[in-house]
Order: sequence, then C-alpha cells, then structure tokens
Amino acid sequence: MKRIIDKTLLIVLLIAFLTSLYLVFNWVPQIKASNTAEQIAQKIFYFHVPSAWLGFLAFFIVFIASVGYLVTRKRQWELVSVASAEIGVLFVSLVLITGPIWAKPVWGIWWTWDARLTSSLILWLIYVAYLMLRRYLPDGSKRANLSAVVGIIGFIDVPIVYYSIRWWETQHPKAVMASGDGSLAAPMFFTFMFSLATFTLLYVYLLRKRYQLLVLEDTLNKQFKEMEIL
Amino acid sequence: MRAAIAILKKDLRMEFRSKESILAMWIFSLLIFVIFNFTFEVSRLIMLEIAPGLLWVAFIFSGMFGLNHSFAIEKENGNLRAMALMPVDGGQIYLGKFLSVTIMMLLFELLIFPIFIIFYDLQLSLEMLLLIPVVLAGTIGFTSLGTILSAVAVHTRNQQILLSLLLWPLVSPIVIWSVNLTGMVLAGEVATSFYPLLIRVGAFDVIFFTFAYLLFDFILED
Amino acid sequence: MATPALQLAKVSKDFGRIIALRNIDLTIQSGEVVSILGRNGAGKTTLLNIISGVAKPSSGKVLLFGTDPSDKLNKAKLAIISHEMFLYGNLTALENLEYYGSIYNIPDPGQRIANVLADVELTHRRFDLVATFSRGMTQRLTIARALLHEPSLLLLDEPFTGLDQHAIGMLLTLLNQQKKLGKTILLTTHDLHTAKELSERYIVLDKHGIIHDGSMKETTPDEIRKKYFSTIAAEQVA
Ligand SMILES: Nc1ncnc2c1ncn2[C@@H]1O[C@H](COP(=O)(O)OP(=O)(O)OP(=O)(O)O)[C@@H](O)[C@H]1O
Ligand SMILES: [Mg+2]
Repeated sequence: MKRIIDKTLLIVLLIAFLTSLYLVFNWVPQIKASNTAEQIAQKIFYFHVPSAWLGFLAFFIVFIASVGYLVTRKRQWELVSVASAEIGVLFVSLVLITGPIWAKPVWGIWWTWDARLTSSLILWLIYVAYLMLRRYLPDGSKRANLSAVVGIIGFIDVPIVYYSIRWWETQHPKAVMASGDGSLAAPMFFTFMFSLATFTLLYVYLLRKRYQLLVLEDTLNKQFKEMEIL
Repeated sequence: MRAAIAILKKDLRMEFRSKESILAMWIFSLLIFVIFNFTFEVSRLIMLEIAPGLLWVAFIFSGMFGLNHSFAIEKENGNLRAMALMPVDGGQIYLGKFLSVTIMMLLFELLIFPIFIIFYDLQLSLEMLLLIPVVLAGTIGFTSLGTILSAVAVHTRNQQILLSLLLWPLVSPIVIWSVNLTGMVLAGEVATSFYPLLIRVGAFDVIFFTFAYLLFDFILED
Repeated sequence: MATPALQLAKVSKDFGRIIALRNIDLTIQSGEVVSILGRNGAGKTTLLNIISGVAKPSSGKVLLFGTDPSDKLNKAKLAIISHEMFLYGNLTALENLEYYGSIYNIPDPGQRIANVLADVELTHRRFDLVATFSRGMTQRLTIARALLHEPSLLLLDEPFTGLDQHAIGMLLTLLNQQKKLGKTILLTTHDLHTAKELSERYIVLDKHGIIHDGSMKETTPDEIRKKYFSTIAAEQVA
C-alpha cells in the first residue's frame, strides 16, 4: 500500500513538474521589462515564492509535530518534526539562493539587508539551530523533549520575525497574494498556483520518504539491539 | 511562588558573592565601546547613529554572560536533576531563573549606561526617562527567551555556542525593535510610531514568557 | 493490603541504541529496605532514575505510592543520595539547606536544619562554603539535604562512596533510624557487607534484567559474591 502511494505520488509529481516547467517557460506571457535578463530572472518568481511558502508549511508541521510529541510522547511525532525541519531548511535555502539570482539582474546586487531578506535568513538560522541542537544531543527522550520545545518556540517566532517587514521599508516586491489589485494577470496566476501545488506535492513526497527512512533507521537500530541481547 | 523566590534569592546571593565577575563584566562592556571605536574610525555623527546598536551589543553581551552562568551553576553538581525532582511546577523554576537573570542583566545595563553617556557625550534630558520602558521591554524579551534556551543549551557539550545559535536569531526582532526605539529616544525624535512599537515589544515579551513558562517542565524531565 | 510503595511492570529503558533495562517487574512494599546489586553498567542507576521519575521508561509502567512518579505529591516524599550532590559550591552549608528547606516548604526550618546538621556532625562548619568541603564532608551534607524534608522513600545510589569509617557508621545509624520510622529504602552498593547489614531483601541486576530477587537473611555476602559476581557465575547465568 505504502509503495503504491509512493509510486503514484512520484509519477504525479514528475508530470506536474514537467507541466509547470512548460507553463513557466513556454506558456505564460513574458512580462514587460527593460532587458531580457530581467525577463528571464522574473521566471524565478514561480520557484522562489512556492519555496518560501513551503518553508512556512514545513515549519508549521514541525510545530504541530512538536506539540504532538509533547502530548503523546510518541517517537513518530519526533521523526515527523525532524523530517519536516530538514525539508523546511532545504526549501528556505532555495529561497535564499533563488532570491539573489533574481536580485542581481534586477537590482544590480546579490544581497541587501532588506527586511524581507533578513527575515528569511533569520528564519533559516532558527531551523539550522534546531537541527544543530539535535546533532549535539545524544539520541533519547531528552533530545526529543528539548527539540520539541525549540520547535514550538521557533515557530511562534516566525510571524514575529516577518512582522518586522511592516516596520522596515522593504525593497522586496509585495506579496502577490496580498496585493489584490489584479497586478498578476490570469495566466500568471494560474501558472503560479500550479507551481505552488507542485511544490506542495513535492513536500508531501519528501516528507513521506524522509520519515520512512528515519523509521527504517530505528528498525535497524532495534534489530542491532536484539542481536546484542542474544 | 515560594519556590521561584527561593531560587531567585539563591541565585542573587551567589552572584553577589562573586563580585569580581560583575566587575569583569563591566570592564568587558567598556572594552566593547573602546574596540568599536578603534575598528570603525568614523565621524562623531555616524558614531551617534550607530550608538543605539552599540549600546545593545554591550547589553546583549552582558545578558549572554548572565545566561551562560546561570545554568552553568545548575549543571555543576547535578542541580538540574535536583530541579527535576522538586515538588513544584517547572514554571516556578523558570520564573525563579528568569527573575534572577533579568535582575542581573538590568543591573549590568545600569552599570553600562553611564559609560555610554560619557563616551558618546550625550546630553542627559528628561526624555531619556523613556529609555527605562524601552530597556525593560527589550531586556525582558531577551531574558524570557534566553532563560529557556539556556536551559536547553546546558544539556549539550557546547553550551555557549549553542545558546548563541539558538537565541540570537529568535530574539533578533526584539533586539531590532529595541535598537530602533533607543535610537528614537537618543535622537530626541520620539515619533508617533514609538508607543505602538513599544507596546508590540511588550506584547511579544508576554507571549515568549508564557510559552516558556508552560514548556519548562519538559526541559527538566529526562 | 496497602498500596505498595513501588510497582514496576514490564519497564524497559533504552538510550538510543544502548539498552539499559529490559522488562523489569518489581514490587516493593512500604517500609521495605531493598539492596540493588549488579556490576557496573548493569542499570542500577537507571532503575533509580526511573523510580524517581527523573527518567521516563521507554515502555512499561511505574507507580509510586499508587500514582505517577512525576506527581508533585510523590516528589515531595522522595529523596536521592548519589554522587550528584545537588549542592551549590558557592553557598554555605546552611544556605544550601535553607534553600532546599524553602523549596520543600518544610515546617520549622530553623530547628529541622539544626537537627540534620547535628546528625551529620557538620554544625561547626555550617557557615563555610561547600566548595571548601572535603569529599566526605560534602557527602555528609548531601545526606543532610536528602533527609531534610523527611522523605518516605529514600533512593540511595552508592551512598557510602567517599565516606570514612566513622562517617559510614554515622550513615548506617541514620539509615537504621529511617528504617525504624518505617521509611522505604532502596540502596545500590558494591559493598555486600553493608547491604547485608541494612537490608532484608536484595535483587541482582544483570543482562538488563532482574536475575535474582531474594531474602538477605538466608544468605551471606560471600555466597552472593560467589553466585553473581565471579566470572564463572556470570557465564552460567548468561
Ligand atoms: N544518559 C545516558 N545515555 C546513554 N547511555 C546511558 C545513559 N545512562 C546510562 N547509560 C547506559 O545504560 C547502562 C546502565 O547504566 P547505569 O548507570 O544504570 O549502570 P549502573 O548499574 O548504575 O553502573 P555503576 O555500578 O557503574 O554505577 C550502561 O550501559 C550505560 O552506558
Ligand atoms: Mg550507577
């Protein structure tokens, strides 16, 4: 059953990815921009924003799983939160990589200490610290407890970190969903939503896979233990 | 409440017993001002602009010092385990540690501030009283997060590094805002945005404190 | 029959890949004095940690006086003496005891502290910092700290280590007093003679489990040593 779900997910994912690539590069109309470099850079938007969204989703799942762990003390919750944190860091890393790639041709600089950029970096640092903490602690209930606590506090901090955008002026383009003035043409909107859905699917797939791997590691450890006993 | 007060009294007693570390901390923060002055040879005007940030750098170093110390003494003779065995809520233990760390940090800030005034030749004015709520709000935000994260970090071999890794990103919004607020006061430009921002920092203090209070039990148990 | 002081059912504890305990079943009645014996790494300390609620078992159930060990009422009834002193070096003996006195909210702390200090013969050093104490003196203060709140369950993890002959005698007297008061005592030690002197019952831990649970009266330290602590015996048990 698990295998069938995974296989199906993988196939759907492949098709979805190819489709979004087609939509992004061949279907959606070019935006008006001063030069071609900028036009091409604009395409990154369809990967950059979904990555950021998935970072949030992943860290939200870390939060939920951390609460789940502290309530139930079930190893499964711990594994879900680690898996999700790793994937979240991966996606925010993508945000931090794709951002400068876009910024260089458009703004002429790789990085600026703008609020949105800074807050993404801080977000990334929070969850890297979370993963570091786990590395520093030996496996066991103590580690599970401590990282769950950090997983919860970390997520409470996320909106606070992003709140700072409103305070600082930002060069960063406005969040498209929030602008609401129809600045995004219909085909663009469709392409964006499609890309978002594809990325979300990718997250689900990665989470499942990483989780299964962690469970497998546990099973292997257990078998080692049984062997020691005999 | 009784347990929290007992912990607070015990901590303060120990802190004041080692007065030399308070003195060392004070000289250290003095050094921060001196070093920054040498590394950034800038005009007085620019210096004034970065002064609020510098002030908070000194504050934060004293806070980190206090946090590291506060839980290092608990680890020493297995006292962390003694805390896990106490017949009181983890929140009470958190409250006790939070209070002692906060009081120590406020004390350091009180010692640092006069040097700051002298070094940057600032005019004392009545408006500067507004720094009191600003420093209070910023400090409480720092220590409410710092206390619980320090209790987390103390379980690792590399306590000090890990505390910085965990705390700095998490507390950065509070610090950024505190620097902004301090800048407004020092520049004598308390805008209309001052009070909403101050209240926002205060609100986040309450949020952090509440969560840390509720979660502290989980940190003590094995 | 009254609720037992302690019930463990199928308790296991792992530390990641390391197995500490496997399927421990153990019931101890109120007022019993039990020695827990076993080689280094057999899991004695881990067992005490689980009983005190400091460590959660990986599986299985622990009941202390009929309820969960992390229950606050249980915590107030419990004391531990181990190599972890639970003392602050930068406080005096008196300040340490006052601190624990207010944490445990003991009645008439002044008198009680004076009593325990006298019991461990540290009254004359009460104003000295614990950091200046010798190992044995610190251990004695640890004993005073543990008895301060008059616990009904004492968990002693090698309490005699570091004590001189005189202090060992003192601790034995104190523990015998506690025994007469009907307190439950669990003791781990590598000294089979003191184990014999104090306890009526002993259990032996090995291979992560209880391999023996018997009466002290019917045996001698030498017999226990031959049976469970010689290399050949270990092979046989395995
Ligand atoms: N915090 C921990 N993390 C990992 N492994 C641990 C931990 N505590 C104990 N262990 C392991 O659990 C096993 C039992 O240890 P425990 O300390 O209970 O033994 P013990 O019987 O008290 O030994 P000793 O006589 O030396 O005091 C050992 O294999 C030990 O390595
Ligand atoms: Mg031991």
